[in-house]
Amino acid sequence: MKLEIFENKRVAKDTFSLKIDNPALFDASPGQFFMVKINDFDYPLLRRPFSIADFNDRHIEIIYKVVGEGTKILASKQKGEFLDLLGPLGNGFGDIEKNRRIFLVGGGIGAAPLIYLSNVLENMYGVNYKAYFGFNTKDEVYVDFGKTATMDGSLGYAGNVVDMVEPELDENSLVLACGPTLMLKRLAYVCYQKKCDMKVSLESRMACGIGVCLGCVVETIDKDFKRVCVEGPVFDYREIEWQTL
Amino acid sequence: MANSVNLTVKLGSLIFKNPVLTASGTFGYAAEYKKYMDLNALGGFVVKGLSVKPKKGNKPPRIVETPCGMLNAIGLQNVGIDRFIKEKLPLLEDVDAHIIANIYGTKADEFVELADKLEHIGRVSALEVNVSCPNVSKGGALFGKNPNDVFSLTSSVKKHTSKPVIVKLTPNVDDVAAIATAACDGGADAVSLINTITGMVIDTKTKKPFLANRTGGLSGPAIYPVGVRMVYEVYEKIKVPIIGVGGIYNSDIALQYLMAGAALIEIGTANFTNPNITVEIIKGIKEFLEGENIKSVGDIVGIAHNA
Ligand SMILES: Cc1cc2nc3c(=O)[nH]c(=O)nc-3n(C[C@H](O)[C@H](O)[C@H](O)COP(=O)(O)OP(=O)(O)OC[C@H]3O[C@@H](n4cnc5c(N)ncnc54)[C@H](O)[C@@H]3O)c2cc1C
Ligand SMILES: Cc1cc2nc3c(=O)[nH]c(=O)nc-3n(C[C@H](O)[C@H](O)[C@H](O)COP(=O)(O)O)c2cc1C
Ligand code: FES
Repeated sequence: MKLEIFENKRVAKDTFSLKIDNPALFDASPGQFFMVKINDFDYPLLRRPFSIADFNDRHIEIIYKVVGEGTKILASKQKGEFLDLLGPLGNGFGDIEKNRRIFLVGGGIGAAPLIYLSNVLENMYGVNYKAYFGFNTKDEVYVDFGKTATMDGSLGYAGNVVDMVEPELDENSLVLACGPTLMLKRLAYVCYQKKCDMKVSLESRMACGIGVCLGCVVETIDKDFKRVCVEGPVFDYREIEWQTL
Repeated sequence: MANSVNLTVKLGSLIFKNPVLTASGTFGYAAEYKKYMDLNALGGFVVKGLSVKPKKGNKPPRIVETPCGMLNAIGLQNVGIDRFIKEKLPLLEDVDAHIIANIYGTKADEFVELADKLEHIGRVSALEVNVSCPNVSKGGALFGKNPNDVFSLTSSVKKHTSKPVIVKLTPNVDDVAAIATAACDGGADAVSLINTITGMVIDTKTKKPFLANRTGGLSGPAIYPVGVRMVYEVYEKIKVPIIGVGGIYNSDIALQYLMAGAALIEIGTANFTNPNITVEIIKGIKEFLEGENIKSVGDIVGIAHNA
């Protein structure tokens, strides 16, 4: 599906917001992702997975960080160019129980899908939530709501976002999280201790994004493998064998 | 169109409506692609490698991208033959294209058991025997590296099936034509080549091989010249049809395989990038033949050998 770029602009250090015209042909729920083809030709070969940072009548938004070759090329795309998207794919955060204390916890570029999730929670579910976002430094911050932690203390809480949110969590909490694997591992440990629930969006190397290559699997506690692209990317954290990540 | 080109291909008793198939492991059990393309457009598809028992596969990471290619070490994860027959095949009942079962085992007995189980499954048109797997009785050396093993494995499977048997060859050998000849001596109705080329990527940050399995199989555009060369070599040595596989991502490369001697082709990794690529390649082959005023796709098979 080739869609026109409406805007592709820098929003923070190495971080871009890409808005694409929404053809209004499908719905998409928070936590789902698109497989984006970087060029019309076959380099880079594989599509890149990106979560949906916002989805409205006019635009699909992706917020991405330049980390390698593909995202570098993506950052050079201009308004009016077309991008080939496959999706929306995967299982998102799903239905949210309203009578819980809801916490959105995002780390770095992992905050992106939580922006769309926050919109849906507010506008569709009308539920309250608290949001906590962690970054390395102030100039990486691209979210304008919730509480912020920075590792170097240049903005908000000084330190790790997991430490910031930990005192707030209890048995009635539902954590909705996305971020670097190390952060999610720590968060999973905290959630086990506090006996709270967590739905977590995982990353994995993907070739197809549609469940056929079996390249993207994660190990589950029943010693089985699940595909991040089809059974995920959002999982109940109790399903995951965290030691293997 | 009145004098439209003839794309049909014969393999033993089977007629394929065109020479384009999908490669094992890159197309799931085919039903997954219904959403993205018209499965009926294909000559056929080869499903994910099937084993006697379900197989979990290797630990992740299982894939890593390379320039114009990718390495995979999936470890042949699959649902097993019984679930394939019970759960996956019924999803394809309405599809008008040949279904080829790719089978693998670690002992000749397992291949035979798979052939037996598929013998009365009418929906499966042919068997593709993956010989790129470790032979337990030979200490884990690949069946596909030894002509004697390939000969005896092929003849064992042949005795247990009335369906055409395609032997899928590994490129990780010195003399692929010798292995192809052994498969034919064993009774193969066709050979397909190439499977992936063994490679390794090291993560310089962790100073360890990137894949949990350490090595993986290279596929994608990067490998196509190797595949074309091997098809060319094998064509000179054997009489049965060749199925060309490896790095095909557009109709020009598909045509190169045909000209090297492949009667049919399989598309693998390219399906990941473009789920509709097979349909585009069929169209491209047809347009080429029309443009050159060639009446039948069979007319270009092996044509590069005339030079
Ligand atoms: C479900 C999902 C959602 C994602 N959402 C976002 C998002 O909203 N914003 C964002 O900036 N990034 C997101 N990512 C990560 C993003 O896919 C990678 O940063 C991107 O693929 C890197 O491509 P590259 O060519 O720049 O990097 P390179 O390192 O050059 O890429 C080489 C290969 O590795 C793969 N790869 C590298 N890093 C990752 C990674 N972290 N996860 C998965 N594959 C990787 C690439 O796809 C490519 O095949 C998401 C990943 C997944 C799995
Ligand atoms: C992810 C993946 C899984 C594969 N699984 C199998 C398999 O189960 N059996 C098999 O015979 N070949 C398997 N192959 C090899 C392909 O069928 C094909 O021979 C190879 O990838 C070269 O073709 P390509 O470059 O078009 O992908 C697999 C390839 C990939 C990329
Ligand atoms: S990316 Fe291919 S199965 Fe998930």
